[in-house]
Order: sequence, then structure tokens, then C-alpha cells
Amino acid sequence: MKLRRYFRVIHRDFGYLFFALVIIYSVSGIAVNHVDKWNPNYKIEKSSIKIKTLNDSTITDESLAKYVVTQLDIKDSVKSSFRSGLFEIRLFMENKTIDANVKKGIADLEVISSRRFFRESNYLHLNSAKKAWTYVADYFAISLILLAVTGLFMVPGKNGLEGRGKYFVMLGILVPIIFLLIYFY
Amino acid sequence: MKNHIKLVVIMLTLSTMLFASDGKKYGKEIGLKEKTKISEVMSKPETYIGKKVLVEGTVVNVCEKRGCWIELSSDKKYETIKVKVNDGEIVFPMESKGKIALVEGELYSIDNKETKEHKENCTEDKSNCSEEKAKSDCSDHKSEKTYLLKGLGAVIK
Repeated sequence: MKLRRYFRVIHRDFGYLFFALVIIYSVSGIAVNHVDKWNPNYKIEKSSIKIKTLNDSTITDESLAKYVVTQLDIKDSVKSSFRSGLFEIRLFMENKTIDANVKKGIADLEVISSRRFFRESNYLHLNSAKKAWTYVADYFAISLILLAVTGLFMVPGKNGLEGRGKYFVMLGILVPIIFLLIYFY
Repeated sequence: MKNHIKLVVIMLTLSTMLFASDGKKYGKEIGLKEKTKISEVMSKPETYIGKKVLVEGTVVNVCEKRGCWIELSSDKKYETIKVKVNDGEIVFPMESKGKIALVEGELYSIDNKETKEHKENCTEDKSNCSEEKAKSDCSDHKSEKTYLLKGLGAVIK
């Protein structure tokens, strides 16, 4: 019974300590789970704008960039550019890219913005930070095991592991096994 | 106490300035000192296969979802090279677009006919290809191989 008291203390205090990390890892887990349907780090808005056509193949990169900026009436300063073809140029601005084809008279605009909280959560969850964060994440993972194990023995009696608890535990074990049998084996 | 706070603020500012001037580092430390022109690598790719090179160019494209590749502009007009990194090992941010990147990596090739993209776009009806796709994937006179750089370390300024 003394052991149960220790388990409760560990479960309670680790619960407090790792509250933030559980939320961060869970939110990021859901976010990256659906990476094929959405971008978990950025909001990317794309649009196409028609511009006046230009059929001058001798135009310099600088003049072509200026032409596109004037056509689109863009106030942002151009950081750099890349001439991707005779009539095509890509202009880079702060969080904005313009891909223009002056022969076709089309400019594709892409504006990116960070998904706040998601991006930071994914950065930590996917261990992009590396270095010391690796150890924090390892410690967190071990603590989750401790939280799970101590959680089993917190409640005595019919609501505990000896009672209805064992059915829930069995169900929890069965769910991944069923999925493994269906998809993995 | 106030002096301590001032000292910490000064040190933080200085370290930020130091990092800002060096650019952001990704992956392993760059070991090579001598840069190779991208045009040189792309003109004689077979001589560079499996070899480590250090290249520099403007980041013209970034993998939107995983940040697992970037495309660098070459010193030669209209030319680019794709830098692929192992998923999760290096994640290039979208904000890299338009910035100068110094990349150390190993050149390798992939068979164009074997790529999923090629099969999807070009096996049945070439008219379905967009102009860009047609240029890159479906052209009959396109070389059989695409050369990519396996990125090991990078600095983006």
C-alpha cells in the first residue's frame, strides 16, 4: 500500500511537470499525422494574376524583374530573383514568391505564413532542434512510461486494475494488435 | 543585480549578431573549404558521382510539406540543382526561398523512367503534362538520369 502512495505522488507530480509537453506532442502528433492533407507548419496561399504579355527574349534579368513588379504594383522589396526561362522569372520577397511567365502573361503569387504554435510544436516533436533537446525528449518519453505504469496502480478495488481497470487495459492492448494484424502482417 | 541583467542582455545580443552573420546551420558541419560551381557539377556529373562537393546558390524552391529538399540556382542561366536530405534529419524552412545557401553534399543520380512522377505523368498521355512537367519529365530527348545532391550540411544566409 505504501507503494501505491509513491505511485500516486509520481503520477501526480509528473502529470504537472509534463502537462505542457503532453499538449505540445499531442497537438503536433495530430498535425503531422495529416501531412498529406495539409501543411502542418505553414499556411500557403496561392493565386494567379494576369499581367500584360511581353515577347522580348533579349530583356535583362533586372528589366524583367522590374517589369513584373510594375505590372503587379508590388510595394515589397525584391530580395533576389531567379531567371528560370527565357520569359520566366521568379522573384523572392519577404514570405512572398512570384513566379511570372511574361510571354503567357501570368504571375503566380505565393504567400507563406507560419502556423503559430503548430510550427513550434512540430519543431520540438520532430526533434528538429537536436542537441540537448534530444535528452529532454528522451526523459519525457521515459516519464510517459512511468506515468502509464503508475497510472495502473493508482486506484484500488473494483475501479482499479483488479476490477474494471483490467478490461480497459486489455482493450487498449487489443486495439494496436488488431491494426497490426490488419495492416502489418 | 542590474549589472548582471545588463551583462546577460549584452551577451545574448552579441551571440545573436554572431549567429546572424554566419547564417543558419543545418545538419553536419561543413568540412570542405573549396566551392565547386553548380554548372561544373552539372556539366560533368558522372565525374562527381559519389563525391562530396560544396556548392553555393540561391534557394529557388523548398519542399512545402516536409522541408526535405531545396533547389539551388546555378551560376549558369536557367539551371538548378536539387538538394535532397533525409526526412527529418534536416528540415529546410520555407523562409529559405530567395536566400543564399552553401551546401555540402554527395552527388547521386536517379533513373528518370523509374520515378513515380514520370510514370504518373508520362506513361499514358503526354498531352496531360503541364508545360513544366513536359519540360522536365516527358521530353523524349531528356537525359535518362537526374542528378541530385544528397545534402549533408548546409548554411543558409
